[in-house]
Amino acid sequence: MSNSHSENHDEATVVGFEVPKSPDSSYNNVYPGNEDEARDPPMVPSHLQHTLLNYPANRDTAGTVPLPKNVILNHLYIENRESPRSVVALGFTHRFRSKYVTVVLYKPVQRRGNTSI
Amino acid sequence: MFASVVDGACEGSGVSGPILIPRRFVWPYGGTTVFLTGSFTRWSNHIAMSPMEGCPAVFQVVCNLMPGFHQYKFNVDGEWRHDDQQPFVNGSCGVVNTIYIVREPDILPSILNTETPGRSHMEVDNMEANPRMPVSDLEVSRHRISVFLSTHTAYNLLPESGKVIALDINLPVKQAFHVLYEQGVSMAPLWDFFKSQFVGVLSAMDFILILKELGNHGSNLTQEQLETHTIAAWKEGKFQQFRTLDSNGGSYPWRFVHAGPHECLKDVALKVLQNKVSTVPIIHSSSEDGSYPQLLHLASLSGILKGICRHFKHSLSSLPILQLPVASIPLGTWMPRVGEPNGRPLAMLMPSASLGAALSMFVQAKVSSIPIVDANDSLLDIYSRSDITALAKDKAYARISLDEISIHQALLLGQDATSPSGIYNGQRCHMCLRSESLYKVMERLANPGVRRLVVVEAGSKRVEGIISLSDVFRFLLG
Repeated sequence: MSNSHSENHDEATVVGFEVPKSPDSSYNNVYPGNEDEARDPPMVPSHLQHTLLNYPANRDTAGTVPLPKNVILNHLYIENRESPRSVVALGFTHRFRSKYVTVVLYKPVQRRGNTSI
Repeated sequence: MFASVVDGACEGSGVSGPILIPRRFVWPYGGTTVFLTGSFTRWSNHIAMSPMEGCPAVFQVVCNLMPGFHQYKFNVDGEWRHDDQQPFVNGSCGVVNTIYIVREPDILPSILNTETPGRSHMEVDNMEANPRMPVSDLEVSRHRISVFLSTHTAYNLLPESGKVIALDINLPVKQAFHVLYEQGVSMAPLWDFFKSQFVGVLSAMDFILILKELGNHGSNLTQEQLETHTIAAWKEGKFQQFRTLDSNGGSYPWRFVHAGPHECLKDVALKVLQNKVSTVPIIHSSSEDGSYPQLLHLASLSGILKGICRHFKHSLSSLPILQLPVASIPLGTWMPRVGEPNGRPLAMLMPSASLGAALSMFVQAKVSSIPIVDANDSLLDIYSRSDITALAKDKAYARISLDEISIHQALLLGQDATSPSGIYNGQRCHMCLRSESLYKVMERLANPGVRRLVVVEAGSKRVEGIISLSDVFRFLLG
């Protein structure tokens, strides 16, 4: 900056008030590596894990469970068990008018030799 | 959950202003100065009653009343009295007469005959010990409850967010009862995959019948076959048995009792009572032919009773029958009194009795629970049909014989090992006294886990009777 007013003064800079220099490593234009692209996207959205199927439906609570998150509505869930069992549970939460209903259906697993579901 | 319905909105339309109905009050028991007061005078104004001409002992006055429920009382020579020949209740203001004014004005009763003898003295002895149940109070209460049940649907029974368990009919019976035990429920609707329909309900009674079948020496079922015997095969065999038994008499319709969400609560309650089931699945189908059914809820009498108690909680005076003690109402099953003819005996067992005896009593006596008493008939515990699912714990049913295990041991199976309370948990036995009001009994029966109350004597806990949910509904619905 220069103006007529400064011609009468020397270019005196007070110590500690120098204009800072831009850091050398602040900006770059490096292209992202391929390591992020190597990872697959998640199979399902992570908030689908907030299901109501693990809450008990015993008679003492009159079958009441917490309100579901909207994302889990109208999804069919299948029970995840490590050991093979002869029964599998299917879960489904949907809205009926202004209320929510979670139905769990227990079905026998069809045995076909080494076929796994 | 239950939207309040204004009673006036259901009344006939077209009426612009309030209609006052003239009603004559009579005090035929004599006196010098008689006043009438009641809810229609805010219990503050006292209306002087005039003696009838020719009958100095009979006083009368005509008042204009709003349609609805009213209470009133007489002040005779400075003493508060009520007419025990008219309907009365024992309320917070003492004993008061009650009257229900319908919308249409009644034809005034004929002038009291001058020759009719009037009672000059009123017997008040032992009036509190055994209050009578006025018939008009019963009709008023039943009418109001019927109106409430007819104007609310099964949809109101659904919780905001509910969970229902269903079973495929090709599931093995053994696995089905493990599911019932794990989920803490005592029954589940049955789904037929090929028909794409719900076709029935599996309950604890089925398990009781299966265990009795296994106990028979000539049983077709073995322990190994229990692994593969499906619900469908069991239900088919049960159906054949019933058809054979009833081949002489009328047909026994073995059909699936269910209801839609738009049915009124009165119809749901009547279905429970008439079909002798404990729950009615609420199933909705968006198409006309009933295909693609959606299971919404398992409706029970306790859910309906909860709605009744919530609705009338702040207007109990409109249901006078609810304030009577339960001992004065023909309700429930009671121990026969000394000298009374033996009616239906109250089924009870000792804790040392065998589990097989309890299961036989469930089947033959057609009861759903048995009080467990000691030698003095004092209540220790209660064994219900739904307790049978506890045998699924650690596969106890496969290791025991029904006649070798006692009820005491069976109840221990149902106890949670981490429960801090003792084996005779007070919370399991839901009790009441004979002097408690019907409303108090209804409030406790409205809890989901409570299906019956055992009436016991204060102090000794001697069993005097048992009142179940279906008893209350049979009484209220008439």
